[in-house]
Amino acid sequence: MSNGFHIVVCGSLVPDPLQTLQPVMGASGLPELKSEMMLPSVLDPWAGHALFEAAHLAAKTPESKVWLVSAGPKARLQQLMMTLAQKVPFELVALDGSASGFTDASSVAKSLSEAIEGIAGLDRSRMLLFGGCASASRDAGATMQIVGERLSIHDQFLAVDELDVENDGSLRILERIEGGQYLESVCEGPPAMLGWATGTLPEPKNNPQVGMMNMRTIMPALQRAQSVSVGAGDSTFASVEVPQQRRETRIVKDLPADEIARELVEWIRS
Amino acid sequence: MASILYVAHTEADGTLCKPALEALEAARQLKGSLGDATLTVGLIGHDVQAAADAIASCGADRFLAVAGSEFGVSRYGSDALAITELVKASEATVILAPATSRVTRVLPGVANRCDGCIDTQVTGMSVEDGQAQIQRWYYRQRMVATLTRDQSPWFLSIAAGVYDAWKGDTGTAQVEILAVELDGGATRTRVIGTKATDSDTQTIRPEADLLLVAGAGWTKKQADGQTHVPDAEQLLLEFLDSTQASLGSSKSLVDQDAEGQAVMGFLSHMNQVGQTGSTPRHPKGLATCCHGEEPHVVGWRFINQRRAINMDPNCSWAQGKADVLYVADAFEVMKKVNDLLSKG
Amino acid sequence: MQTPERQSMEVDIVCTGFGPATGGFLTTLAEAMNDDQGQPALMSRVMPGMPLQVICYERADDIGFGVSGIVTRAKGIRDSLPDLDPSQIPLAHSVEGEEVLYLLDPHKVSRRSWSLKMLDRLVHAGKWLLPYKEHAVKLPYIPGFLSKHDGLLLSMGQFNQWVGSQLMSSGLVQVWPGMPVKEPLIEDDQVVGVRLIDQGTDREGNPDAGFMPGMDIRAPLTVVGDGPVGSVGQKLDEHFGLPEGNHQREWALGMKMVIDLPPDCELKPGMVLHTFGYPEPEIFGFLYVYPDGVASAGIFVPSWLDSPVRTSYRYLQHWMTHPALWKHLEGSTMRSWGAKSLQESGKAGEPFLVGDGYARIGEGSGSTNVLTGSGVDEAWTTGVQLAEAVIELVKQDKPFTRENLENTYVRRRRESWVEKEGRVAERSRDGFQKGFVRGLIGMGITGLTGGWLNLSGDSKPPHERIPSIEEHYAGKIPADELKKMRAQCTESGTSLQEALLNRCGWPEIPFDGKLLVSQQDALLMGGKVQAPPGYADHVVFINPELCESCSEKLCIDMCSGQAIAPGENDGVPQFDREKCVHCGACMWNCTRARDGDAEQTNIKFGVGAGGLHSAEN
Repeated sequence: MSNGFHIVVCGSLVPDPLQTLQPVMGASGLPELKSEMMLPSVLDPWAGHALFEAAHLAAKTPESKVWLVSAGPKARLQQLMMTLAQKVPFELVALDGSASGFTDASSVAKSLSEAIEGIAGLDRSRMLLFGGCASASRDAGATMQIVGERLSIHDQFLAVDELDVENDGSLRILERIEGGQYLESVCEGPPAMLGWATGTLPEPKNNPQVGMMNMRTIMPALQRAQSVSVGAGDSTFASVEVPQQRRETRIVKDLPADEIARELVEWIRS
Repeated sequence: MASILYVAHTEADGTLCKPALEALEAARQLKGSLGDATLTVGLIGHDVQAAADAIASCGADRFLAVAGSEFGVSRYGSDALAITELVKASEATVILAPATSRVTRVLPGVANRCDGCIDTQVTGMSVEDGQAQIQRWYYRQRMVATLTRDQSPWFLSIAAGVYDAWKGDTGTAQVEILAVELDGGATRTRVIGTKATDSDTQTIRPEADLLLVAGAGWTKKQADGQTHVPDAEQLLLEFLDSTQASLGSSKSLVDQDAEGQAVMGFLSHMNQVGQTGSTPRHPKGLATCCHGEEPHVVGWRFINQRRAINMDPNCSWAQGKADVLYVADAFEVMKKVNDLLSKG
Repeated sequence: MQTPERQSMEVDIVCTGFGPATGGFLTTLAEAMNDDQGQPALMSRVMPGMPLQVICYERADDIGFGVSGIVTRAKGIRDSLPDLDPSQIPLAHSVEGEEVLYLLDPHKVSRRSWSLKMLDRLVHAGKWLLPYKEHAVKLPYIPGFLSKHDGLLLSMGQFNQWVGSQLMSSGLVQVWPGMPVKEPLIEDDQVVGVRLIDQGTDREGNPDAGFMPGMDIRAPLTVVGDGPVGSVGQKLDEHFGLPEGNHQREWALGMKMVIDLPPDCELKPGMVLHTFGYPEPEIFGFLYVYPDGVASAGIFVPSWLDSPVRTSYRYLQHWMTHPALWKHLEGSTMRSWGAKSLQESGKAGEPFLVGDGYARIGEGSGSTNVLTGSGVDEAWTTGVQLAEAVIELVKQDKPFTRENLENTYVRRRRESWVEKEGRVAERSRDGFQKGFVRGLIGMGITGLTGGWLNLSGDSKPPHERIPSIEEHYAGKIPADELKKMRAQCTESGTSLQEALLNRCGWPEIPFDGKLLVSQQDALLMGGKVQAPPGYADHVVFINPELCESCSEKLCIDMCSGQAIAPGENDGVPQFDREKCVHCGACMWNCTRARDGDAEQTNIKFGVGAGGLHSAEN
């Protein structure tokens, strides 16, 4: 029997972090982002770390395989793949649906878990379910745990920075906790869910050969992407806004450094 | 009638942490606003009596707990069983818990087990027409939404630093201990313990009163045409030592590290504040040698009082982003500040 | 450290740069790759039995990060996309109205020649009779050669993204953004492919953590569409030179913003407004109104602006606040911002279009029409022409030799409207070499006579045109004062150019935090500029001594992203890759000739990763 891992990474697109985001109330009563379809997007950063860690683990563990399960508007997923596919080898499972941050974690988790259940050749006893510790859009840190629950995975870890596979096959895991510390745990083995923080790997370089290889499966996966209904659940939004805070700035010029220091220390101690 | 369950876990010393006491205050306020509601306290830990006694006077209608050595550790499997049992026993319709790492990991799974819904990192609550509304942030804390839900039970984790920590007299709480059987599946994971990260690294200290942000100006050439990075390092470290302030950085400064320029050894991307970094919460913030451009200032959303030191009177801090801008040489000012601080 | 081996990959066609030219090329080629039954119609030579293997590498982090708001007749684009529906492309709109405004100087501070001052006086005297409003005169009619009626307004970023996604979803060709191409592979004067950029290097390009040598992509045909400052095009010109008599001496920097117009703005979608005369006579401006209250507004600062003070960003702000523009723009908010160099030599700057194993298309191939101010449609069309040639050659199983490419691609191009109109335009701007008014008259004469008559003017490389600051301000600012200003600015690390503009009476910009913001805010809020670590600096100051002796250091003030800053002791400037928007302005605004090549400057502008992250431009 193979000892390799079947690593399923959940991750989708979020707006490029440098973009200006402005919420507007959509026609359906659900918030959306202004010009959402025009915003350049990137792979959700924490999910990105999860994917790179998955590829790294798969590369050093024979007979392992990596799937990336992504729910998002098909056209934008395609665009995301143009940069992502050059990074590491993976097989895409694409779901055509909303990638909005205003969707509900459980609604997204339902679509993702059903897609994972449908992956042909996936051995769930060898499965490591990877994702980000939170998405940069929904900002909740809830989806991966619900996907895990729905797949009956009860060994779950969040804000993971390190995973080591021990000689006996057990998993030694470091999770970020309060006070800049780590919680160290050992899990007997797969299946397990790991919601990654930044991990320890740098972003892989773009590799044209990886890109060529991935594209052979990515384009067909996009073409057969199932449409999924991802919504905001039973949430009713009263408002969404970017808080505006403009202060009356007091500009202090020509004051000697001694005076400024005195004023600052007084303020620090107040 | 709403049935509020407040869930918290004890720390290694058997106490409740500050965020837990803040969440308790949130639960009490919610009960008060709803009027017709009950409040149950549900504790998890190795031994919970001391913690329950410490909050005995909080006004809870009932104290429940799941206790024992297996529940003294932070582990998804056992925590999920414990909280599920607390929800069942209390017949809760709203569950509030502090957004600690332990709760953050387990609460969504429990919500799923209980056929409930969940919102995390809640920063405010109110009651409109008898219905609870919450505030929470989206897109890396860049926009805030006010929303409500119909589904029950509704799980809420309360962000730290929003509510005042509950304070009250200790007493003797009558704690009903619930029996929770752990099957083999719940203990497949063994918790080894905690581990400190590299002690040389200065990180954001969530408890600090002051955030000091270092910008790229510290590594640029000064009036004498030279850079003074070692001096800058010393000034900043001295300041951090004497104030115990949290250390943040602008993106451009930590990016220089990746570019191989001389930068401060104790800074990493973990310190980065802003649109592509973190959004820390501190009562005060002092920006030094940093221009205060919009993408950076986005990370200052939860910094109440803001002051900045910059040579450029037209820098962005002057455009309504800081309360006070000192147009001055930060090297000179911070040296004087350190002198004054060292004098006590 | 063990250096990893350089890898190599073989394809049939490798393209460098994904802009309108490559878009036209790939769109046309992809359409011919399958037959009616969906079977491959064009077969690979490097992978027998497989369909043609076509790959395109784009430097920027996404295919939609190009910088241009454009108005185009879209003749070529519509020929290849007859069903094009502008409503399917965000920000696209048909042209609904055109105006050209001559802007007078409300502050009386711009550099106006006596002839222009005369003209201004005449305008003032007759303003009751003229269509004069807010210090501007509307031209009574738009000459046919400038008119874009029936044309399209496009955001280049959104158009590229739309074309790219159509191509990718066809599955027939591959387009990879975020992958800069370093240089062509030339063996015995034959181009045999390209080399990608090294990754995991320090700023000097030496191997560093995670070093990965750039892969060699070998291909029988290399399609060069990397624009006016593209590294492959530059290297080909260095190797093969330019055809005799041709030069690439005319440039312009286009800098613009995409803005949300105020709710009460009266401008209707499809409106095109062109301006000239202010903030300096030579600076042209444009305002294009997209759907949903969005507009693209910007200026062109040309190489024939014979002034050593040319901070484009400041000029952009002065232009926007001109009363004739400000009445529309007041209350607007910036959405995005960017800048790009334009190769303004047009046909006169045409390089060798083909050679063994390569062909050049688009702006870098001299296709821009400098009379009509049109480049995108021409670029697209040259791509289409090359694709038609390639299809013909593949079907006939002929190799991509210079001769075969001459007989197919170049022949098509020479017979087309691109060439015909390009020839008319070739000398249309020569008059600007001798002054603004002469230039305008020259353009008019060329346009109205169909290129039969032109006003002459000798072209010079930009670095020969730019006077020193002392020369330029002689008689305007006393030498002593200028010296003092220079010393003060050096000491305080502030911009001398800004100080000079203030000294000459240019008003301070009233920052409003929305549209009028500092350049750094524009860079971050509007440009969203970033660069990944692990790449060599792509701006290199070749001979440090030349920089040390340079008193203008125009590279610093002309840098759109403020990525070039004063160096130690006012010596070699410092380059910060994090802020670079890859406009290439430094390359042609350097005032020192390169040792051994008077056509080039002392700044080498290579290929680098990162840049703008805005898809609205």
